[in-house]
Amino acid sequence: MNPHTVFLVLIVLGAVWTACWAAVLVSSRRTVPFERLEKSETRIRITLLAGFALVAIVLFAVTLRWLPFRESRVAKMGAPHTIVTVTGMQWSWALSTRQLPVGVPIEFAVSSRDVNHDFALYDAHGRLLAQVQGMPGYTNHLVYVFPAVGEYTVRCLEYCGLGHHTMSATITVTDR
Amino acid sequence: MTAAERPVSTALLAPDRSNGAALRASMAYMVAGLGTVLLMGLLGLLMRLDQAGMLVISPAWFYRVMTLHGSGMIAAVLLAALGGIAAAVSATTPLSARALWIALVVYMTGNGFVIFATLVGGFGGGWTVLYPLPEHGIVWTLQAALAIYAGYFFVALGLLLFCVHILFAMRRAHGSLAKALAWRFLFSLGRDKRDALPRPVELIAVVIAIDGIAAAGAGLIYLVPLFAQASGAITTVDALFAKNFVLLFGHTIANLSIYITAGLVYAALPAYTGRAWPTSWPVAAAWNLIIPLMLLNYSHHLYADFAQPVGLQLLGEIGSYAVALPSFIVTIIGALALIYRSGIRWTVAPILFALGLWGWVFGGLGALLDATIPVNQVMHNTLWVPAHFHTYFVLGALAFALAYLWSILDALSGSSERRGTRAAAWLYGIGGAGFILMFFVSGANSVPRRFAVHLPEWQVYARIAVPFVLLLALSLAWLSWDLSTRFGSAWRATRRPVVGP
Repeated sequence: MNPHTVFLVLIVLGAVWTACWAAVLVSSRRTVPFERLEKSETRIRITLLAGFALVAIVLFAVTLRWLPFRESRVAKMGAPHTIVTVTGMQWSWALSTRQLPVGVPIEFAVSSRDVNHDFALYDAHGRLLAQVQGMPGYTNHLVYVFPAVGEYTVRCLEYCGLGHHTMSATITVTDR
Repeated sequence: MTAAERPVSTALLAPDRSNGAALRASMAYMVAGLGTVLLMGLLGLLMRLDQAGMLVISPAWFYRVMTLHGSGMIAAVLLAALGGIAAAVSATTPLSARALWIALVVYMTGNGFVIFATLVGGFGGGWTVLYPLPEHGIVWTLQAALAIYAGYFFVALGLLLFCVHILFAMRRAHGSLAKALAWRFLFSLGRDKRDALPRPVELIAVVIAIDGIAAAGAGLIYLVPLFAQASGAITTVDALFAKNFVLLFGHTIANLSIYITAGLVYAALPAYTGRAWPTSWPVAAAWNLIIPLMLLNYSHHLYADFAQPVGLQLLGEIGSYAVALPSFIVTIIGALALIYRSGIRWTVAPILFALGLWGWVFGGLGALLDATIPVNQVMHNTLWVPAHFHTYFVLGALAFALAYLWSILDALSGSSERRGTRAAAWLYGIGGAGFILMFFVSGANSVPRRFAVHLPEWQVYARIAVPFVLLLALSLAWLSWDLSTRFGSAWRATRRPVVGP
């Protein structure tokens, strides 16, 4: 999922909503008896309810195919080629390896030594690719396939104290 | 007679002798809430200036300011909303002014602890006080963490007292809570009208009081183990358990603000459009559905916690979609239908109500996208998250609360409206829209939230946002000044009966 696509969806939906909203505001300069509108209002409500319910059901079905959790990703991508142990701590990351192969499933087993952290992978263009929480007392498993060779940045996206913004690491992805 | 010629009805907005004292307490809530919003807004401006690289503050101070801004804003908007709903309800349901004042004092005591913890104690653990960070602050002490816990305890207690009082008052007025929720009417699909139906705002008051009690309960369930740990009674608290309950508390009270203030739209907008908004079957059904749905959607904040049971994750997505449907289909469409070809005169309050409708939906769209699990993977914990909640706080709940306060003060004081204030209301919308749009753009470009220091390539978004924040601040200051000039005469007017048209 590309964040720019998400933004585009917001802008398109937002523009449609803004146009409807503005049309209602502009319409208010004229008057009609409210009784004449009530049947239309009910019809609009039923149509919108049916339409939105349908969209929600479709979105939910799509979601089920694209769940980011370990079992869903393993079923889709295959068994992990490499398992990387990741421990978050105020304010650094400890990774069992920082050299990883391209194009194969990598499993990050993420935990924390102190507070909640969020292990987030960024590409060289500064785009967020995937994330999982690092929590004290738990190990969360993120499976991810690096699409291209290059340098990737790990950032912490769960606020973890004074040095939160400095908590980063680098992963180098190479040809196998 | 068109709505433009019709005087604003004071029947629903103004008091008679029976509710003047409750109305004064309600106005104190709203003024305290909106005053705090102004101060917290200045802290927000400070943070945006820092992120733009235009005014550099140390990370220690940035995170203290961030914590105070977040917790202060959540508490302030909720307080203004509670005052609004109390004022609206008190027009037809007797409320105890003493109970309202006690809840306010308890609530403000909590705010005092939060200010003390951050400004004096140096606490900078974020408004979410996510366990175990408050106890691992390194630069602040356990005492500062305990002070913020105490602050949240008193805020939750104040909310609890308020909600319990509302439930008792509504039960006394309607005979039972089932009647106050229009259940006989609802479950007979609108055929059984033997019970006198509550006004929409009364029904909404019961809904939010039930969810408010649930939220306060979740807050206490979160805090009690933390106090127990601090006292040495237990050694550790499960991080996932704590996270679920702190978000059930925090997310629900943030949601409460928008739903409570939506109730104010039902209470006041009909007076401006000259059209009635009664408790129809869709209204009763929508608001009864919101009781459970508002408590389900918090878990969309835990999608990245893969240890959370998948069923709860999916419930978060279903709950987020589901709660949007009754809100949009019934409240938003209902409000737009009220305005459509109504001949409404665009004075300050209707402008702010209209802006609130826009912001609630636009922010909701951003929230729904983030509540979709695969989308959440690449948007969560970026500035997309503050983007959506600032949209329906600044251009939703706060706009509604301001509009309602304006309605009351306008009706009570009888002062004429200044043209400049109408312009300020529109400018509030423009400033707010530009401000939140740059948050969305930042989120789309994966800029993390809660970062004291922004990379040079991220600073451009904050720089574009700053003029809009200034416009927002200036327009809000103008609106507040105009409100303040009406406050004295409005306050005095609550001491004498006001006859509606």
